[in-house]
Amino acid sequence: MSKIQNLELLVVGGGPAGLSAALAAANYGIKVSLTEEREFLGGQLIKQTHRFFGSEKEYAGTRGIDILKKLIDEVNKNNNIEVLLSSRVLGIYEDNIVTILNDHKMKKYYPQSIIFATGASEKFLAFENNDLPGIFGAGAVQTLMNVYGVMPATNVLMIGSGNIGLIVCYQLLQAGVKVAAIVEAAPKIGGYSVHASKLRRLGVPILTSHTIKKAIGKEKVEGAVICELDSNWNEVKGTEQLIKCDAICLSVGLTPLVDLLKQRKVKTTYVSELGGYVPLRDENMETSIKNLFVAGDVSGIEEATAAMIEGQIAGLSVAKRIGKNSKDEIEERIEEAKNELELLRSGPVGKKIRKGLSKLGLNHGKNYNEKFSEEALDISHLMKTGVPSEENLKNKLPSEEKVFDKGPIAISECFQRFPCDPCVKSCPFNAISENGNINNIPYVDFEKCTGCGICVSKCPGLAMFVIHKNFSETTSVVIMPYEFLPRPHKGEIVKVFDREGKYLCDGKVIRILDGKFQDKTAAVSIEIPKEYYLQARNFKVEEGNHG
Amino acid sequence: MDENKVIICRCEDVTLKEIRDAIRKGFTTVEEIKRVTRSGMGPCQGKTCGLLIAKEISQMTGKPMEEIELQSIRPPYGGITFEEVTKGTVMENDK
Repeated sequence: MSKIQNLELLVVGGGPAGLSAALAAANYGIKVSLTEEREFLGGQLIKQTHRFFGSEKEYAGTRGIDILKKLIDEVNKNNNIEVLLSSRVLGIYEDNIVTILNDHKMKKYYPQSIIFATGASEKFLAFENNDLPGIFGAGAVQTLMNVYGVMPATNVLMIGSGNIGLIVCYQLLQAGVKVAAIVEAAPKIGGYSVHASKLRRLGVPILTSHTIKKAIGKEKVEGAVICELDSNWNEVKGTEQLIKCDAICLSVGLTPLVDLLKQRKVKTTYVSELGGYVPLRDENMETSIKNLFVAGDVSGIEEATAAMIEGQIAGLSVAKRIGKNSKDEIEERIEEAKNELELLRSGPVGKKIRKGLSKLGLNHGKNYNEKFSEEALDISHLMKTGVPSEENLKNKLPSEEKVFDKGPIAISECFQRFPCDPCVKSCPFNAISENGNINNIPYVDFEKCTGCGICVSKCPGLAMFVIHKNFSETTSVVIMPYEFLPRPHKGEIVKVFDREGKYLCDGKVIRILDGKFQDKTAAVSIEIPKEYYLQARNFKVEEGNHG
Repeated sequence: MDENKVIICRCEDVTLKEIRDAIRKGFTTVEEIKRVTRSGMGPCQGKTCGLLIAKEISQMTGKPMEEIELQSIRPPYGGITFEEVTKGTVMENDK
């Protein structure tokens, strides 16, 4: 018989949930073993180059990869955490004995508690020729690009407009790959409107109420046939069109990776709002089997911030159960974390999650403020097209034109309610307010705003602009956020585009703020003919100008 | 849609036609369909096809998704060689 090693806490999965869980428990003296199948920690965070939404406490405004660096640094410094890399959990048995493949040996462990933070897998889609080479999951494309530096294709058709689809499209464009279009079966965009608007400004069509019928190609993908759907999700005859592309990227949702939980016969149930089959669990993240906890996407598909908080709750719950000290303090911290989750889920975007959780019998959100569960503005046009309506824009512009005469002012093009506040926090003049609740839409106080442009680089949604209407007799200046290479030179002439990516005019680069403070989101001042100051929202650098 | 050209299980090359034929024959659980078609028996162990098959069963039988279970999952998770199994145990025996 081989020896069985006793453990206090085994955390399965080194993504945001697992790292947070390990840290939360280890900080209260629990000896943690953290296993990760891959040779490095990070899970999906390792690929997230965009800034996160949320509040400051939850690292809002920080890029996913930088949040990860902080977490890994803390884990490495913590003497209570042992990290097992390239270690795959193979099995979990009735007595909670776990086998792990590590260093080409199957080893046995007996943990007092286990937190499963195994994440999710990508959903697949049934359409003709869906096994042609060149059909990828969005996650695979992101891994190829951001982990291994491999360009997956030259012209991609994205299926699905959730946040992953939108973010991967943006990253494809940053990598120099063309995005032919985004196809979305639902009548509205699935992800955040700010992500969609960024892509529209870059000229990517978003086709809501459309679906893919088949992939075209002999040896590999050469195109796709798409069609329109009616309100009953049936094909509208005669709307077929061929879209040329050399890759089709599927971003049609994630589903919890419950395989290990099912090995142990943890009770699971199908909840569509949470992505598929999810484990039953209580508010402290404990499953139907005692001392078996879950955290992150495996307990229901959400996003990384929620995963990190769930990880904390699971880790703290284990510390409270098997630790010896600070029980009251731990209880307090669990309550704090639960309140944070509640805030995160309290907007209209969190509605689906709340519905899913209620199906699990969880009363997460007994304190939800109904006031914030509906959108404040009519954003139906925005969510259908990715482009704000005239009414939406009017709502965020100064009510009187003469306000533009005072000098440069910040304009916020953020119309959707979700918890996010880096613009508010970044303004040195307290000129941006969400009226006391992070779920409110931010408004600029044009009296206080000096047009300094700090918020332009800080908004995670790239939705802040500064407009100086009367820069000269005939020209205006718009400060725009810019995250592409090559960067423009001062004095360079660039092509300027509107919110739909349509060419408006040429503009002249007069200033570039691109230092450590801007953290790779440059704030570029572009001088344009005055007539376009309300339309000009993007620019492109001509390749030829940069050898 | 040509059901023969729609792949449901990529690992084992099982088409939508084969899945639907199996359901028509009366195999109406993901576990049964796995046993008659080999869907879900490849390297990914049903991570790609499981949900699609469950949805197909739901649509064809009218059974709600909440009443359809995924296939059974048993250890080991992912492939492992016999050498790796014995190495872990034999090494300890030698001590």
